[in-house]
Amino acid sequence: MDQLVAHLALGFGVALSVQNLLYCLTGVLLGTLIGVLPGIGPVATMAMLLPVTFTLPPTSALIMLAGIYYGAQYGGSTTAILVNIPGEATSVVTCLDGYQMARQGRAGAALGISAIGSFIAGTFATLVIVLFAPPLAEVALKFGPAEYTSLMVLGLVGATVLAHGSLIKAIAMVLLGLLLGLVGTDVNSGVARFNFGVAELTDGISFAAVAMGVFGFAEIVANLDQTGKVKREVFVKKVSNLLPTLQDFKDSSGSIVRGTILGSLLGILPGGGALLSSFAAYTLEKKVSWNSANFGKGAIQGVAAPESANNAGAQTSFIPLLTLGIPSNPVMALMIGAMMIQGIAPGPQVMNERPQLFWGMIASMWVGNLMLVILNLPLIGIWIKLLTIPYRILYPAILLFCCIGVYSVQNSPFDVLLTALFGIVGYVFVKLECEPAPLILGFILGPLMEENLRRAMLLSRGNPMTFIERPISGAMLAVAAFLLLITMAPAVRKTREEAFVED
Amino acid sequence: MIKNGKDFWAGAMFIAFGIAFMVVSRDYSMGSSVRMGPAYFPTVLGGLLVALGAVVFVRAFVSQLRQSFAVFRFRWGLAIAGTVLGVVMYQSFAWWVAMGKGPQLLQYVLNALALILIVLSFGPKPLFVITLAVIAFGYLLKPFGLVITSAILIFASAWGGHEFKAREVLIIYVVLALFSVGTFVFGLGLPINIWPDLG
Repeated sequence: MDQLVAHLALGFGVALSVQNLLYCLTGVLLGTLIGVLPGIGPVATMAMLLPVTFTLPPTSALIMLAGIYYGAQYGGSTTAILVNIPGEATSVVTCLDGYQMARQGRAGAALGISAIGSFIAGTFATLVIVLFAPPLAEVALKFGPAEYTSLMVLGLVGATVLAHGSLIKAIAMVLLGLLLGLVGTDVNSGVARFNFGVAELTDGISFAAVAMGVFGFAEIVANLDQTGKVKREVFVKKVSNLLPTLQDFKDSSGSIVRGTILGSLLGILPGGGALLSSFAAYTLEKKVSWNSANFGKGAIQGVAAPESANNAGAQTSFIPLLTLGIPSNPVMALMIGAMMIQGIAPGPQVMNERPQLFWGMIASMWVGNLMLVILNLPLIGIWIKLLTIPYRILYPAILLFCCIGVYSVQNSPFDVLLTALFGIVGYVFVKLECEPAPLILGFILGPLMEENLRRAMLLSRGNPMTFIERPISGAMLAVAAFLLLITMAPAVRKTREEAFVED
Repeated sequence: MIKNGKDFWAGAMFIAFGIAFMVVSRDYSMGSSVRMGPAYFPTVLGGLLVALGAVVFVRAFVSQLRQSFAVFRFRWGLAIAGTVLGVVMYQSFAWWVAMGKGPQLLQYVLNALALILIVLSFGPKPLFVITLAVIAFGYLLKPFGLVITSAILIFASAWGGHEFKAREVLIIYVVLALFSVGTFVFGLGLPINIWPDLG
C-alpha cells in the first residue's frame, strides 16, 4: 500500500509539471476535436503527430498521444448526441438514446451525464491500472519466448474474434499483416527480405505509412466515393442546462457503475478496447435496466452506460501495452510505434527502468480526464460550431497534415509514396469488407512473433510441443482455441453479428 | 455461379498475396525447424494465407449472402495493359539501371503510368486523383517547397471530390499554407523547404 502511494506520488509529480500539463491539455483538446469531427479518428491523428513527438521528451510525447485517445471518447459522444452521427466508432450506440434525448430538449442532460459518467469511469480505470499493472508485469518478466509467442497468438486471435464481419477474413488479414511486418532486414541472418531491390524497404515498411494509408487516406476516398452524401444537421443550436438533475443522477448511477466495470474488464482483453466496451455495455444495460422499455426513445441509461464503458475500456487497454508490450488494438499499436521511435522497448521492464514515464503517464490520464470534464462542458458551443464545417473543407486539411506527417518521420518521399499505395490497398479492403484493424496488429507483431518463435524452437531443439507443454503457454493457446471455437458456434455467431450491426 | 462478389475478390486477393510471399521467399534460405532461416516463417504464413483465401474464395460460390460480382467498376483493358507494363518494367529493372541517367527518368514515368493504369482500371475518381496528388506532394516537396506543393495537393484533392468551388478552395489553401508553414516549419522546426530550392 505504501508503495502504491509512493508510485502515485511519483506519477503525479511528473504529470503535474507545467510542461506535461500543457501536453496533456493539447492531447485531450486535440482528441476531443477529432472525436467531434466525423471522418477522422484517433489512429490517423496519432499517426500524423508521430513526427512531432520526436522533438518531445518521451514522457510528454506519450502523455499527449494517450490524451488524444481518451479525449476522442469524450468528443465522439457530443456529435452522437447532437447530430445523430457518431464522431467516433465508439459512440455509435450513444446515438440511439442520446439523439432522442436531444430531440426532447434534454441535450444538456445527455451531454452532462456522458461527461460525468466518463469521468467516473476514467477515475476507476486509472485505479485499476495502478492496482493490476505491477503484479501483471511481475508475471510477464518470467515469460520465456514460448510464452510470448503464445501470448501474441492469443492477442491476435482476440483481435479477430472481436472484429466485425467474417472471422476467416479477419484471420487472413492478421496473416497478411504479419507478412507485411516481415518486409525488411531479417534480424537473425541479415538478409533483406521482400524489398524488391528498393533500398528504402530494407528498414521495413514504415508503420506510419501503413496506419495513415489504411485508416486515413482510404477513409477519405471511401467517404468521397459515397454517392448518398451524409447530411450533418446540428439539431440543437444552443445547449442549456448542462448539469443533469438529481433525478437523472439517481436514474443513471447504476448504469454508470455497470458500464464502468464492464468497460474496464473488456478493455484489458486482447482485441478489446473502447469500441467493444460501448457495444457490450449498451447491450447489457438494455437487458438489466428497469427502464429498458424506453431504450431507443431517449433513456438516460442508454447514454450513461456506453459512454462510461468506452472511456473505461480506452484506459484499461493500456494495461497489456504497459505490462506485456503487446498492443490490444490499433491505437495501442501506435503507442508502441511512438515508444520505439523514442528508443523505448515496450514490455514489463518499462515499469522498473523508467518509473517516471510509467507512473507519470498513468497519473496524467486521471489529470486529463479531470481537464476534459471541466473544460468540455463550457466549450461545447465551440464544438457545435465546428460541426457545421462541411467535409469538403475538412478533407484537404486532413490530407495535407497526413502528408506532412508521413514525410517528416524520416524526411522520405518514399514513405509518402507507400502511404498512397496503402491508401489504395485500404480502399480495396473497405470495398471487400475486410477489417483493417487486425492487419495493423499483425503488422506490428510480425517481427516480434518471428523472433520469439525462433528462440522458442531453438530452446526446445525444434520440438513444437514446447508451446503446449509449458503450462502458461499451453493455457494461453487453449484460451485462443476456445475463443475461435465458440465464435464459430452458430448461436454466438448470430449474437456477434447482431452486436456489430451499426444502425 | 458466383453468389458473393466480395468474397470472390477478397479470396482471390488473399491467395495472390500468399503465393507472392511464398514465391519471393524461395530466394532465401529455409533453414530447419530448430534454426529457422529467413524464408521459414513467411513461407508458413503465406501457405496459411493461401489456405484461408481458398476457403473465402470457395465460400463465394456457396454463400447465403448475395453480393454483386461488380464490386469495382472494372475496366479490363486498362487492368491488363497496366499489369503487362508493370511486369515488363519490373523484369527490365536492371536494363534501365544500366542505361544511365537520362532513360531513368523515362523509367520512372513508365512505372508511374503502369500504376495509374491499374488504379484507373478499378478506382473511382477520388481514388486516383488523391493518390497521384499525394505521390506528387511527396516527391516535389523537397525541390519546390511547401507553399507550391501544398497548393498542388489541396487543389487536386478538392477537385477530386464532389463539389469544387474555386474561391472556397483558394481560401482553404491560403489558410492551410499559412498554418502549416507557421506550425510545422517555424513552430516545430521540421526540416521542410518553404520556397523552391532547385539547386
